[in-house]
Amino acid sequence: MSPRTWLGIVVLVLAVAPLALPPFFLQLLTEIAIIGLFATAFNLLMGFGGMVSFGHAAYFALGAYTAALLVKRAGVPLLVALPAAPVAAAAGALLFGFFIVRLSHTYFAMLSLAFAQIVFTVIFKWKALTGGDDGLLDVWPPALLKSPAAYYYFTLAIVGVCVFALHAIVDSPFGYALKAVRENPRRARYIGIDVRRHQLVAFVISGAFSGVAGGLFAFYNGSVFPDFAYFTKSFEPLVVALLGGVQSFFGPLTGALGFKILEWLISRQWPVYWPLFLGGIVVVVIVALPGGFVGLVGGRQWRRRPAAKA
Amino acid sequence: MAPPASREGLVLQTSALRKRFGGVHAVNGVDLAVPPGDLRAIIGPNGAGKTTLFNLITGDIAHDTGQIYFSGEEVSGLPPNHLCRRGMGRTFQVTSIFRRLTALENVQTAFLSHHQRQFNIFAPARRLYRDEALGMLERVGLREQAAKPSGILAHGDQRRLELAIALASAPRLLLLDEPTAGMAPRERHEIMALVAGIAADTGLTVVFTEHDMDVVFAVAQRITVLHQGAVLAEGVPADVRANGDVQRVYLRQAH
Repeated sequence: MSPRTWLGIVVLVLAVAPLALPPFFLQLLTEIAIIGLFATAFNLLMGFGGMVSFGHAAYFALGAYTAALLVKRAGVPLLVALPAAPVAAAAGALLFGFFIVRLSHTYFAMLSLAFAQIVFTVIFKWKALTGGDDGLLDVWPPALLKSPAAYYYFTLAIVGVCVFALHAIVDSPFGYALKAVRENPRRARYIGIDVRRHQLVAFVISGAFSGVAGGLFAFYNGSVFPDFAYFTKSFEPLVVALLGGVQSFFGPLTGALGFKILEWLISRQWPVYWPLFLGGIVVVVIVALPGGFVGLVGGRQWRRRPAAKA
Repeated sequence: MAPPASREGLVLQTSALRKRFGGVHAVNGVDLAVPPGDLRAIIGPNGAGKTTLFNLITGDIAHDTGQIYFSGEEVSGLPPNHLCRRGMGRTFQVTSIFRRLTALENVQTAFLSHHQRQFNIFAPARRLYRDEALGMLERVGLREQAAKPSGILAHGDQRRLELAIALASAPRLLLLDEPTAGMAPRERHEIMALVAGIAADTGLTVVFTEHDMDVVFAVAQRITVLHQGAVLAEGVPADVRANGDVQRVYLRQAH
């Protein structure tokens, strides 16, 4: 079947899901869509830009808190608060990214983590604004979107548009140049690309879409907490992308589906053992399935580089 | 062999260029003057400073003292991406390509960047400059390999691809660092004939390093001999071949 046929089937199934599924599963699907967007945005950097961020929770949290604060403190409607989420996240990504893209590999990852911990600390300590450890409660969408089915459709529409946009970006001239930077930064410079600036633009785009995910999650959750910015949250898109397959554009979305369904299955039986189980799955996927879940159904595999000849 | 007093008309000129690594004077006062259309070989024993000289000229590493002029303008200290946009292209001694992209994507990306489209996030890139890229692959003999991931191409084909990538930026000056490294003798002559043909067709100026003296004397218009980071001799191939200093330090022991 062609990708278009697959897409049609997925859209159809998702569209009729509320007719068949109880609210709990609609909420689970809503969360999967949000995490899937977060991981897809993260994977623009990891899979297509070759940059591993350990601090993407910062931009998720900036989006979530911006939306929540605007609704709670300024009383603006969701339709204003939600678009502000990616703007704030992009601004944060521009500020932090300016320094982060100056480094590579481990140092890139550690500096991104450090900035995320700063965001966490500010949220945690600035009680007057953010409520500190107590978070911000009662961040609900307007009545029209309050039912699980309504918010499910709303989330699906926004995530759909964002994923479509990210897909277009990957296939754009910008995306081609980003892959060139991933493959060989030195050669990329010698075809005229300003590598750092290119990485920074990718970082800001990735941060902005992470912010959309954060904003959607704020209203889904009805509350926001400092641990949205904590490093455990930063590892979520990393694990989800790895499970699904970082080499494929749709890997992170697939990973989000698998991750949340497994989490639900395991943790309702043995809640204590979920982290152990997750660790086991990650090991199996990394060792045996470098293409992730998507690699199982014949995705392109390029973790192992073709052997270089001298 | 003093460089011309005027920079007018030269594509590339370096003046008293120096670079030291610790106690080693890798490039020790090199004056180089390359006129338009030259096909210039830079030869010298291992460690003579050929690759370091290339790295200084293309902005890969910073030089200590001296100046670099490109088309009459001082470009000392400019990074490679700026020099590329001004028309300076380069290939590397160790093949440098985008290994997990197809051969076509490699060249297409270079075209996209050359046409300043690298920040366009809206257009699908697949169709952009496709014909130009295929034409370039045809020129270097890789048309049949266009759809293959470049990392699985044969070594010689990867060298050709790197040449196509560099040419896609429409350079006025092309620096080739051992373009035939690792190739069989027949293939070496093929690729240098290809380079010479393209240079003749487009007026491109080429500076290349090469270990194979047969290749050098077959294609070079002028030869600059480096020894211990300095220019030992320079001239047309016949003069260089007859030069006593060159024979003593280099040609006799080259093989």
